[in-house]
Amino acid sequence: MRVRLVFFAALRERMGARAERSVEPGTTVGALWRALVAERPELARILVRFAVNEVYVEPGHRLANGDEVAFFPPVSGGAQEAS
Amino acid sequence: MFRIVRMPIVLERLVRAVRDPAAGAVVVFLGTTRNRNAGRRVVRLEYEAYGRMAAAEMRRLAAEAERRWPIRKVAMAHRVGLVPIGQASVAIAVSAGHRAEAFAACRWLIDRLKAIVPIWKREHFRGGRVWIGPQSGSPSRRPRAARRPSR
Repeated sequence: MRVRLVFFAALRERMGARAERSVEPGTTVGALWRALVAERPELARILVRFAVNEVYVEPGHRLANGDEVAFFPPVSGGAQEAS
Repeated sequence: MFRIVRMPIVLERLVRAVRDPAAGAVVVFLGTTRNRNAGRRVVRLEYEAYGRMAAAEMRRLAAEAERRWPIRKVAMAHRVGLVPIGQASVAIAVSAGHRAEAFAACRWLIDRLKAIVPIWKREHFRGGRVWIGPQSGSPSRRPRAARRPSR
C-alpha cells in the first residue's frame, strides 16, 4: 500500500518536504521511521514526533493505505515534553 | 477563527471573532518576536507550520479550554514565514462572562499552543540561523558568532 510522507523543520531540510512510499500492510509508523533511519543513518540523531492524517500518534500506530504520515521535531516551545 | 497566516496578524479580527453579547471580558495575548535570545542578538525570526494540523490542533485546544472554563469564544492565529523583530507571531483572544476565566483560559491556551501545535521557530542572527527547540544534537548551521556574550 502507498502512504504519503511529509517532513518539517530540521527533518524537512534533510528529507525534502514530501515523498511517497510503498509499505507492507500493517506497518507501524515507528517501523517506517526505523526504515528511513536505516537508509539515512544521520537521522538517528534527530528527535522525532509522528502524526498520521494530522493527528499525533504513538510509534505503534498502524498505517493504512493513503495515510499522510508526518515526521517532525518536537515543537519549539515544547522542550519539556519528553518522550 | 483558527488560522495560520503569512501576513501580519490583525488583532482586531480576533477580537471581533470572539465578540459575544454574554461576555463581560475579552482577554488577548500577543506573542512578539524578541531581539535577543540565549545571549545573542536576533535579527529576525522565521516560523514554519504543518498548516492544516496546526489549525486542527488549535481547534482541539479551544474545545478543551471550553470544557475546562466557562468561556464564550476563542480565536487563535499564528504567523509563518519571516517575522521582523517586534511584530506579533502569535495571537489568542478569549471572551468570557467574567475576566478570571478569560485570563486563565488564555494563559493555558498559549502554554499548550507552544507545547503541541506543530509550528517551529528558527532564529536568524548575524552569522547564522538555528532551529529553536529540541530538534537534534547538532543544528544544521552552527553560528560562529553565536557565543559572543550579550552587550
